[in-house]
Amino acid sequence: MTDEILLKATDVIKTFSTRSKKFGRPHLATAVNGVSLEIRRGETLGIVGESGCGKSTLARCLVQLLPTTSGSVFFEGTEISKLSRRGLRPLRRKMQLVFQDPYASLNPRRTVGDIVAEPLRINKFGTEEIIRERVRELFRTVGLDVNSLTRYPHEFSGGQRQRIGIARALALNPSLVVADEPVSALDVSVQAQVLNLMADLQDKFNLTYLFIAHDLGVVRHVSDRVGVMYLGEIVELGEADELYDRPMHPYTDALLSVVPELNDTDAPRRERIILKGDVPDPSDRPSGCSFHPRCPVATERCAVEKPALVEIRPGRSVACHYPKNAG
Amino acid sequence: MPDSPILSVQDLQVTFATRQGPLRAVDGLSFDVAPKEVVGIVGESGSGKSVSMYSVLGLVRDANVQINGSVKFQGREILGLSDQEMQPIRGGEIGMIFQDPMTALTPVYTVGWQIAEQLRAHSGMTKQQARERAIELLGEVGIPDPRKRVDRYPHEFSGGMRQRVVIAMALSCNPKLLIADEPTTALDVTTQAQILDLMLKLQDSYNSSIVIITHDMGVIAEMAHKVVVMYAGRPAEIGPEIDVVRNPRHPYTWGLLGAVPRVESRNDRLTTIPGNAVSPLDIPEGCAFADRCEYRMDICTKRPQLKGTNSHLDACWLSDEQRLTIRSKAVR
Repeated sequence: MTDEILLKATDVIKTFSTRSKKFGRPHLATAVNGVSLEIRRGETLGIVGESGCGKSTLARCLVQLLPTTSGSVFFEGTEISKLSRRGLRPLRRKMQLVFQDPYASLNPRRTVGDIVAEPLRINKFGTEEIIRERVRELFRTVGLDVNSLTRYPHEFSGGQRQRIGIARALALNPSLVVADEPVSALDVSVQAQVLNLMADLQDKFNLTYLFIAHDLGVVRHVSDRVGVMYLGEIVELGEADELYDRPMHPYTDALLSVVPELNDTDAPRRERIILKGDVPDPSDRPSGCSFHPRCPVATERCAVEKPALVEIRPGRSVACHYPKNAG
Repeated sequence: MPDSPILSVQDLQVTFATRQGPLRAVDGLSFDVAPKEVVGIVGESGSGKSVSMYSVLGLVRDANVQINGSVKFQGREILGLSDQEMQPIRGGEIGMIFQDPMTALTPVYTVGWQIAEQLRAHSGMTKQQARERAIELLGEVGIPDPRKRVDRYPHEFSGGMRQRVVIAMALSCNPKLLIADEPTTALDVTTQAQILDLMLKLQDSYNSSIVIITHDMGVIAEMAHKVVVMYAGRPAEIGPEIDVVRNPRHPYTWGLLGAVPRVESRNDRLTTIPGNAVSPLDIPEGCAFADRCEYRMDICTKRPQLKGTNSHLDACWLSDEQRLTIRSKAVR
């Protein structure tokens, strides 16, 4: 990992308006509410959060698959949030995605060889012969049989399909790979294979990953740094081991305490903090700190004053008036 | 446990006749559930964990299915009972919780109506009594303001709240046994914690036994007293939770436990099980796991029987000494 910043986002906001046709006024749901972060070249930044926290929307905004409502995103020094579609095109090849559902993200009517070759053809990688050789090389890289190039996606298992998705993402030698829940549809034993493969590829090609997942164990395993999202905001950000061992935000603390663990050592387990209620509707945010209605340590101040994400120590930020483990 | 079991499954076989030949979804599953015991059935997709419990309940209605073996509920054989005979058992003495609360509830009736319907079917309560009991139950499962919520429709509830409604329904007739199929898989971790907590609390106050089906070893470790690890429709290992998690015996269980990324610690590399799960159409004669097993021996072409000491059983040909050597090398 270097200190070079590959991607930098400042105060990214994404709102969706849901307009009911007949009743009521249009209402705005703020899916991403002012996120600022940096991704360094060669690292894995994990974003973890529960469903609806805006982690996928954030990922899409960062690579400009979705236009941001406001805020800026710089990629390799270029402000991509200002570029037109055409202006973005030369940069697209450097930002690739791996999707959650390997069943939905591969075209069922095309052979897997064609699927992997498509980005190469679009970007005029070379002659058909060069492209074919590149596809074979990619198949070997991700551990697939080169003789299966002419088969169709349905002939592969979930784990193999995810390898095909990874091969496609790597085809153009990207610098950033955004993986949105890449293993959550897989069984644990297959999930481990794909996670190990992703780690090997990162070493081999010096890839930078933005890894989005809801599984806290998976995120700890793959990430150098982790951001925890709640209701469209990053509430805590830090180096992975540090954040998991000494969470500062009460939400992170609760989240980590309730993950069912294999209790196979005599180490004392965390005291379970069971949060009350559900995540609020993003179109109807609580006042003050978004987490205060469910927070076990909230005070009156939290209902009024919104805590900013502040750097408590170098590389360690939290958005809470009363952070734990901050001393 | 000295009490006679609530549920006793003996040599359950579930085979579907398909065009590609017989598909053995469950092959030789045996286990007991003692009163107040929580049994966890764990396995990957296609391991037969759900089909086995659906067969127990007589819910597998495929015309091409052949179910053999014995399932005794409170000492009475229930395999092969007619729908009419099963009716008081299903939903009455055996409650069910399904994975997806949205499909378990009908969208066109209020939740109160759905709970009350079950009560009226099984206990002969009047409409008014059933409604009152439904409100009580909704309160018990932690739904705020139950008197108002009872007249709401499922879509007006969040995922966690819907699962609470399903649990209220499952518990409405004081079941002796609760079968929960991936009850928290569709839920977020904080909601999962609420639901698991609720299930254990209610189990305590209702004195029911639970069979929980899941792919998540963590959930098993948290909930179950006894674990059944299934692979390719067969039990690979059965034993008390603490023994299976801390001292697993079957190579498949080793792989399964090693493949889980932990929240409490990080290791550089996850254990993987090579290859993919075996197709249920194509299960080898011998050990079903042999093709993916690093410790395969010649004898593995013969099917190993479940054996072991006390209550910790496994189906593997490795000797105790071999396992000890392998494990001492594997443990960091």
